[in-house]
Formats: sequence, C-alpha cells, structure tokens
Amino acid sequence: MIDLKGKFIVIEGPDNVGRSTHVRYLTQRLEAYGVATGEIGLLRSDLLGGMMKSHSNEAHSLNFLTRSLLYATDLYDQILNKAIPLLEAGFIIVADRYTLTPLIREEVRNGDGSWIESLYQTVPTPDVTIVLDAGPKRQLDRLLYSENLDKLNHFEAGMDMGLDASITKSFLKYQKVIRQTYKKIVEKTDNCYLISTKGRMSEVHDDIWSCVYPYLKDII
Amino acid sequence: MKGILIAFEGIDGSGKSTQAKLVYQWLRSKGLPVHQTEWNSSPLVRDATKFGKETKRLIPHTFHLIHAADFADRWARQIEPVLEVGGVVISDRYVYTSMARDGARGLSQNIITNTYSFARKPDITLYFDVPVEVALRRILDGRPELKYYEAGLDMQWTFDPLESYRILQTKIKTIYSDLVNSGQMISLDATKSVSEIQKHVRGIINEKIDFQGIEPVYLEDRLAEQSRGARLEWVGASENEDSD
Repeated sequence: MIDLKGKFIVIEGPDNVGRSTHVRYLTQRLEAYGVATGEIGLLRSDLLGGMMKSHSNEAHSLNFLTRSLLYATDLYDQILNKAIPLLEAGFIIVADRYTLTPLIREEVRNGDGSWIESLYQTVPTPDVTIVLDAGPKRQLDRLLYSENLDKLNHFEAGMDMGLDASITKSFLKYQKVIRQTYKKIVEKTDNCYLISTKGRMSEVHDDIWSCVYPYLKDII
Repeated sequence: MKGILIAFEGIDGSGKSTQAKLVYQWLRSKGLPVHQTEWNSSPLVRDATKFGKETKRLIPHTFHLIHAADFADRWARQIEPVLEVGGVVISDRYVYTSMARDGARGLSQNIITNTYSFARKPDITLYFDVPVEVALRRILDGRPELKYYEAGLDMQWTFDPLESYRILQTKIKTIYSDLVNSGQMISLDATKSVSEIQKHVRGIINEKIDFQGIEPVYLEDRLAEQSRGARLEWVGASENEDSD
C-alpha cells in the first residue's frame, strides 16, 4: 500500500438521503480548518461520468457484469488519477458514494457480490465510512417535496425487480431491501457508522462531524 | 458444456481476424448455427473506450476494466446466449488478449483472471504467431503511423513510437508464449500465405472439434435466407398458357 498522508472519508447511503448536501457541508467545514479537500463520487469521472449519465437508461438496461465493470472503470479513473495523488499530497478526500452502492445495487438483484468485491480489491480503504439512513417513506416524501418525482427512473425505483406495478410502491419496497443491506454491512465493517437523517440538517451534520473528527485529529 | 467456442488470438497484424472470418464463412457454409464476435465492438462501451483513448486518459487498470466491460456486454448478449442454445461462437480475441496486453502493462494475472472469471474456457484457442517486425510492416503498410495505445506510448518506456511498440509487443508475445507452453492455446506459423494458414486452421479444427452434436440450421431456412434478397423472374400464368 502506498503511504497516504491524507485522510479518506466515504459518505454512503441511498437516494434522497441528503448525501450530497452533507458532503458539501463537511468539505466546507474541513476547509474552514485549513485542510485542502477533494471530492470523488459515483459517475463523476472524466472518462465515463458524462457518458453514463447521458445514457442512463441504456446503462441501466445492461447486464450486471457490464454495468459493474463500467462503474468500476469510472471509480478507478477517479481513484488513480485524482484521489491517490491528492491523498499522497495530504488532502482529505470525501467520496460521495464509493464501492458500497455499486455492490449493494447488484447484490439485491442477485448479482455475484464476491466477484464485484474482487474488482475493487486494489482500491484504498476509507479511514471512515458514514452511511446515512432514512426510512423509505421519508425518502419518497423528500423526492415529492423537491419536485423531482418525474426524475425517479425505472431502475432507481427497482421496477426491474418486479416488486410492484406502481412506481412509488416499488420504490418503497426496493428501498426497504437496500436499507436492510446497508445496515448489515455497517455491522460487519470496521470504522463504519450508520447515521439517521431524521433530525434537522444541522443535527445530522453534527453527528457526522463527531463520527469523523476522531479520525482527523492528527491533521486538523 | 453446450455449444462450441473457438477463439482467435495474436498480436495486431498477425492476420487472425482474416482467418477468423474465413472460418466463420466455412462453418456457415456447412449449415451450422455460427456467430462471430470481435474485441471492442459493444456499442455503448466502444464509444467510451474511443473517448478514453483519444483523450489519452486510460491508464493500465482502467484500460483493463473498460475492455472487460466491452467483453462482458458481448458475453451476455452474444456469446453465452449462442452457446446456451448449442451454437458455435467464433471469437476474434478472447480473455487471453487481456492477459497479454494488460499483463504487459504490469497488471497481475490474478487481477485479470478475477475480472474475467465469468467467462468459460474456449473449446479451442488458435494463436497466430508472427514476428514483431512482420506485424509492424503489415500495420504500417495500411496507415502512416502507429496509434498511441497500440504503440504502448501510455507506458512512457520511451518517446519513440517504434521502439515503444517493439517493447510492448515483445512483452505481449512473451505472455502469449507462456499460454502456448502451458497448453492453453495452439500456436500456428502466421507468416505463411492466407490460404496456407487457413488450410492449417481447418485441419486443426477438424481434428480437435466434433461438430456432430451441433444441430444444423434447416436447409429450407438457409435457402430462404439466401434467396431473400435475390430478384426472381416469375413467368406469368397467362404467358405460360400462350406458349403451351
């Protein structure tokens, strides 16, 4: 393993849980302490991010092998070209989703989880992972209230799994399975914490901060 | 295992694609249900790979993964489905291409075989062996210069494209040789003429592969397909009667 002077924080969790907002809060607070930060995330690579997003329906209809390999390519592009060089330079990298999302999404669809894990065998291990948690109904209400229901796609609602003919009911059932899987993973992973997003934004942020702070003590 | 999988391997300019096409036509003319697939040809992934190459953004690990994504797409849409119904698949390059190219770029064989663990072993793999200089001449006869990744310039061994190409292809050939020596591929001398090589190829396939278990396409359907685009000259009924 390369000597990484920086720290690596991963924020995981399902859709509409407030992940991206909290990533922003966290990086801004870290920068206020005078630490340089860098962000990575799912489908954000220069190599594949744009193309995968603009062809999302096509990408979602791919078989699980191809989809998993494209997600892995996207993440490795960011890790090798961005995260590792910045970590070596002493930055704090915050990942808005990392290897758990592509793993869980395929595992709940009966994809071979150990094969997916083998694709990520050489990625850096996060110093700390935060999994943000919300009940499926809260997630759905947030989606409605943010006037984004029309953006809920077939795949993200788990419609391909044949759980329910209604897109909202399917979403609730699908997210329930995803949530259970996240909880199981948190229990068996080191330095990994489940944080509820029930409360106010600032309270959730404080919970995140108190989880990550012990890991950053020596650099801030 | 159902179906028959035949793989063609070799460095660029070894003539393997020409030979693969001839074998495809040969098996098709025998009436066998046969499908041909090429490296880096899955629509969505091919565009991404092209972009990655043009922008020189691909590094060994992402080069490996994106080609695996292309293969996986073809595996799931073309290769496995044809094998499952007892057909024949001709694969122009297979997993061994990744072992050779990505291995030459420093990736461990363990990572490569893990990535491709979903793909079954071919029934036969033919390796078209040709000296690096011969392959180079064949490539440069067709176009003025070597491409960036083809020449291995991404590895920064040297800035001279020809020298870099020789280094990369020599590493690739070493891995191919190991695969031949461990019995995973059959090596052929690819410096001979196209027809001589094809004769050799057909000889090996006839010797090693039993096509008895493969159910041919109905003759009626083959004839119908062949005449589908043809213009038939019908003799009109009235005209017929007049001439009688």
